[in-house]
Amino acid sequence: MIDHYDWPGGREAMLRFGPADGPVVVVAMPLFEEANRTRAFVVTILRMLAERGIASALPDLPGQGESLVPLETVPSTDEMGLAFERAVDGFWGQGRKTYGVAFRSGALLDRLVALHGRWHFAPQNAGDLLRDLKRIKQASLGQPLPEFWQYPDPVLVDGPHPPVEIAGNLIAADFLTNLKVDTPLDTEDGPLRTVRLDTDPKAADRHVPGAALWRRTEPDNDLALAELLAEDIAAWVRTCEG
Amino acid sequence: MLPDGTLEVENIVRGVLRDVLGISEARTAAFDEETLLFGALPELDSLAVAGVLTEIEDRLGILIEDDEVDGEMLESFGSLARFAASKARR
Repeated sequence: MIDHYDWPGGREAMLRFGPADGPVVVVAMPLFEEANRTRAFVVTILRMLAERGIASALPDLPGQGESLVPLETVPSTDEMGLAFERAVDGFWGQGRKTYGVAFRSGALLDRLVALHGRWHFAPQNAGDLLRDLKRIKQASLGQPLPEFWQYPDPVLVDGPHPPVEIAGNLIAADFLTNLKVDTPLDTEDGPLRTVRLDTDPKAADRHVPGAALWRRTEPDNDLALAELLAEDIAAWVRTCEG
Repeated sequence: MLPDGTLEVENIVRGVLRDVLGISEARTAAFDEETLLFGALPELDSLAVAGVLTEIEDRLGILIEDDEVDGEMLESFGSLARFAASKARR
């Protein structure tokens, strides 16, 4: 069903799946273009979680999905994280235990939020996201970019600076600058399980077979991987629930 | 442990092209030293290049600097695989 939640910047839509009671998995999608490439995949996982009796919510975040907030007005991942927190708070208010599930750069959004546990799939840190965005911008321009590429050259005055268009997304220059200092929360801040593809050599609690759908130039799905991840999330929630 | 054998790196690059460009296993299996890529492979546009390079970085645990990316490196499967293998060995 389509629900909504309120945060200081307005009201956002939130897809909900599964039972109306018990623990809830609140999901943070990857940012920007990767969200388009993985949305069908993530929704497939949430339907599979519902079949396993676990509720989930997929909130639209400011500047993402169907949000009415223009992306270029969002100054940092903290603002998206604040909205994510309010979506989580709604379930806390109902006395339900909440778990954060994040895909790729979505892992940047749950770090300020009180959760019973976190589950990250192929988490991308802010530095790597920034490199990705710069590389995409360079590819579209066909030329190398300078160090402070997000600002007009030369930078004559202190802001406001025009947003930067990257693969159809207008991103605030300061958002890009703020990515330089963002970092996902580590395990010291509560139970965290990290799952990665077996083609990714970085450390993880589990490596699983599958393709990096977020890199595909066209959106795609992978039912076998979705099934495997839904089972892993369900087992993780059951473990945390004790 | 990072892969450092050239054949192993070649297969990783093959897998990246298959996964990122969404082309078939059979097509990528036929890629050899001389197979032309950028400008010849329609799926490999400039945006896809960004995805291919980043995925190669992830799988090999390497960093590719902006000034290392040029037409020569992306010209053929052989040149891309050689470049990736040289980075993986460092």
